[in-house]
Order: sequence, then C-alpha cells, then structure tokens
Amino acid sequence: MAGVKASRNGWIVWVTFAIGMLLSVSPLPQFMEILRPLWLALLLAFWALAMPQTVGMVTAFCLGLAEDVLYGTLLGQNALILTLITFLVLSLQQRLRMFPMWQQSLVILVIFGLAQLVQLWLSALTGNRQPTLALVLPALTSALLWPWVSFALRGLRRRYKIN
Amino acid sequence: MGVRLLVLAVLSVALMVVDARFSLLKPARSQASLVLMDAYWITDLPGRLWEGVASQFGSRTELVAENEKLKTENLLLQGRMQKLAALTEQNVRLRELLNSSALVNEKVEVAELIGMDPNPFTHRIIINKGERDGVVLGQPVLDARGLMGQVVELMPYTSRVLLLTDSTHSIPVQVNRNGLRAIASGTGNPERLELRHVADTADIKEGDLLVSSGLGQRFPAGYPVATVKEVIHDSGQPFAIVRAVPTAALNRSRYLLLVFSDNRTAEERANDAAQAQENLDALGGGPVIPATVPKTINSPAAAAAPVTPPATPAAPASATPATPAKPVTKPAARPAASAPAAAAPAATHTARPAAKPPVAAPATTGGRE
Repeated sequence: MAGVKASRNGWIVWVTFAIGMLLSVSPLPQFMEILRPLWLALLLAFWALAMPQTVGMVTAFCLGLAEDVLYGTLLGQNALILTLITFLVLSLQQRLRMFPMWQQSLVILVIFGLAQLVQLWLSALTGNRQPTLALVLPALTSALLWPWVSFALRGLRRRYKIN
Repeated sequence: MGVRLLVLAVLSVALMVVDARFSLLKPARSQASLVLMDAYWITDLPGRLWEGVASQFGSRTELVAENEKLKTENLLLQGRMQKLAALTEQNVRLRELLNSSALVNEKVEVAELIGMDPNPFTHRIIINKGERDGVVLGQPVLDARGLMGQVVELMPYTSRVLLLTDSTHSIPVQVNRNGLRAIASGTGNPERLELRHVADTADIKEGDLLVSSGLGQRFPAGYPVATVKEVIHDSGQPFAIVRAVPTAALNRSRYLLLVFSDNRTAEERANDAAQAQENLDALGGGPVIPATVPKTINSPAAAAAPVTPPATPAAPASATPATPAKPVTKPAARPAASAPAAAAPAATHTARPAAKPPVAAPATTGGRE
C-alpha cells in the first residue's frame, strides 16, 4: 500500500487510529453508549479520502481485526465491516471530494447505516441478536460528527504536511 | 479495487468461520490482546487517577467517618462469622454422616473491573485477571452480594466476563426456601432475570431468594443469584411469568471475586463418594470420615477470602469430636432451617441437608420432626 514517494509524517495517521481505538472503548454513560460514534470508521473514511494511496482496504482490514480482539467478537467481523466502509468511500471518492460538507455527511450516514445493518446481520448469525434497530443510531451520530472530525483532521494534515 | 474487496471479504468470512468453529486462532488472539487490551486499561486510567487524587485530598473527617463505618461493618460481619464457624462445623459433621463430600470452602481471589463491553446490547465486562493469574474458562465471578457471571474469554492478563443478565446467559437456580429448581435466564436488562418454564402451581413467591443450584456443574452451589420480584399468573400462558432482580450489583461493582472451586471433575467426585461408601460398608456402618473431607479443607485458605476463614477454625474442631455427632444434631436443625440466606451463602445452602439425617440417625432427630 506504500505510495510511490515515501509518505511524510505517516505515523500521525497511526496515532489518530490509536486514539480512535481508545475512544471506541472508552467508558460512556449508559444512555450515550447506544450512540457511540464509529470512531475508527470515521477516521478511516477521512484518511481514505485524503490519501487513498496510503490508507486503503488492507489498513481497514487490519484495524478491523484489532477491533475484533478489543470487542471480543469473532475475528473478521469488524474487519469485514470496516473493509466494506472503506470500499464504499473509495468508490465514491471522486464525487465525495466535490460535495459540500452536509452532503458528505449524508453519504456517510448512508454508508455507515448500511455497514451497521451488515453488523446486525452478522451478530444475529453468531447468536447475539440485538432486539432493536437502535444499532443504526451510531451511524447518525457519526454522520453528525463527520464535519468536525473532517475539519480537525484537515487542520492536522495541513499543520504536519502529512501526505 | 473490487478484486481486493472480494479477497478481503472472503478472508474475513473464512476467519469468522474458523474462529467460531475451531480454537486455531485462539493463540493469535491472546497475543494480540496482550497489546490491545491495554486500551481498556488506558481509558480506565483517568477514573483511577481521579480516585487516587480524591483519596489523597479526602478530608480527615470523611476518612474518620468511613473508618467508623467500616469498623461497625467489620464487627457485624465478625459476629456473623462466629455463627458461621459453628454452622460450618456442624455441616461438615452432618455431611460426614451422610457420606457426601463437603463443599464448604472455595478459594476466591479479588479482581478489579477495568472495562465494560462497548456494545450496549451485550452485558460483558473486562477484569484485570487473566490466564497467567490462573483464571480458567467458565470460572464463576461474584461480588459481595451474589453471583455476577462467568468468564467467557481468557486473555493473558485480562479476561472477559459474561454477566447473568446477558440475553445469551442462563443459570440453574433453586428457591432457597423450598429447593424448587428453575433456570434463570438473562433478559438484556441489567435489573432483571426471568425464570423460564415454571409451572403455574409452583410454590414460588415474591421475595424468595434464588440461589445457584450447582446443577450445571459450572457455578458452585449455594450462592445467592436473585430475589423474585414478581410472579404473574396469566391463565392464557402455559407457564407462570417469574421475574427476579439479581442480588449482585451487576452494573455498579468495581471489585469482584473469582471463585476457584475444587478442581475435581464430577466423575472424580463420584468416585470419591463411592470410595467413601465402600469404606463405610467395610467398617459396618460406623461413622467414617470420608477421604474427601480433609481434601477440601486443606486447600489453601486465602486470607482475603470471606468464605474461607470459617472453614479453617472448623476443621480441627470437627476432627476431634468425630463420634459424638448425636448431641450436636439437635441444635443443628433449628438454626439451619431459620438461618437467613443472605447471611452466609455457603452455609445456608449446605445447611439444607441437615434436615435429612433422620435416615442416618433416626433416634436423634426422629422425635423432633
């Protein structure tokens, strides 16, 4: 996945992923737990849009495996979800870049919602069927957070000239 | 790009199937968790730091008040334990008479909660003891008030515990009052368990204490599990609807106890019992101390264990007056029947067989019942 020219400050990308992983297991109040944004997916979507030559589906797959170990789900479950999200983002990449922020959020909502439905289906297969469709709520919070995450990471990228 | 997606998707599906069916990936998983589970530790750090700071700057009056409270509590518990020691001793002796193995003491170890499962629909927690601390798969976990759940995933220094209230969890229980057996299933609500398939006519009432029956060979018998909150008799339903509230503070406890019960399998236990029976027959029905009794008693009694201490003083006491079991049986039945279950989980369960000695010694108890 390495680009043609050596990427500069690429480690910062991995630092953001590590922070995302911490955020995805950090304790939250009970009522907010159901709304926990998909931090890793958000970060992956941003970096895949910003530098598709370094962050791609293989990165997503590896991060997904890490998340599986963290969550105690079957190895490969979150990997599949994150790979799917990255694939969708990458295939919509040309259009997404042109979109204004609110439209990007909308697309993110749809992509993450689809991914969460796949997640629901997979966990139903493994016997942990969630009783409600509340599982789609994280997609909503993630879409609402997308502009902020996007601005912050763009600032970070300019600051450290990551490419 | 599509090809890459296909390859990765097939790979992850294959991984999922292998992980679900075989234990091939377990080592890789536990290696990865060595690094990754630190995430829980790190996210727990601010809370722990805050606790540390708060205890540093806690005011003197507060500390004194807390100290007072703890002393009172300690006194109460000590008081209860005196009674427990006597009951334990009696219990061991009565079990000797019955030739059944004593299940009085289990070793426990304190573990600390370091994280909750991020998925709000599953009730799992992460504790700071793992394979290297001797934790085993399926090990029961308690808190100060009752059973919490069992270990479902082992990692080197951490493990994942499935709580009783998870919707995939069930535990065999019995009503402490009359020994009625049932299965308590989790509902996904942290304050509710449901008893499945309880007959409409079953003798179960609001406020009954449910203790673990030990029938599944997974949980030790006699620990409090839940109290019955409501019993609904709906004539349209084939079974009564029984709802119970777990006695353990499932979503509040920070310190948990891991129970190490005796590691004999059911078969070994049966063999030991058979051996004891043979000995008994050979001696012509005299009171024999089964081989199993000392075995369980001399297991290392950890000082930290609230359950273990009573057994240690009881052991020498019970060893010396082996024969005069008769006079002791008299006071035995009374306290055993009336002993409040909440007071001593280990003792109350094991106390129930005290009602049975009429078979072994009809002369002593027969007149009383």
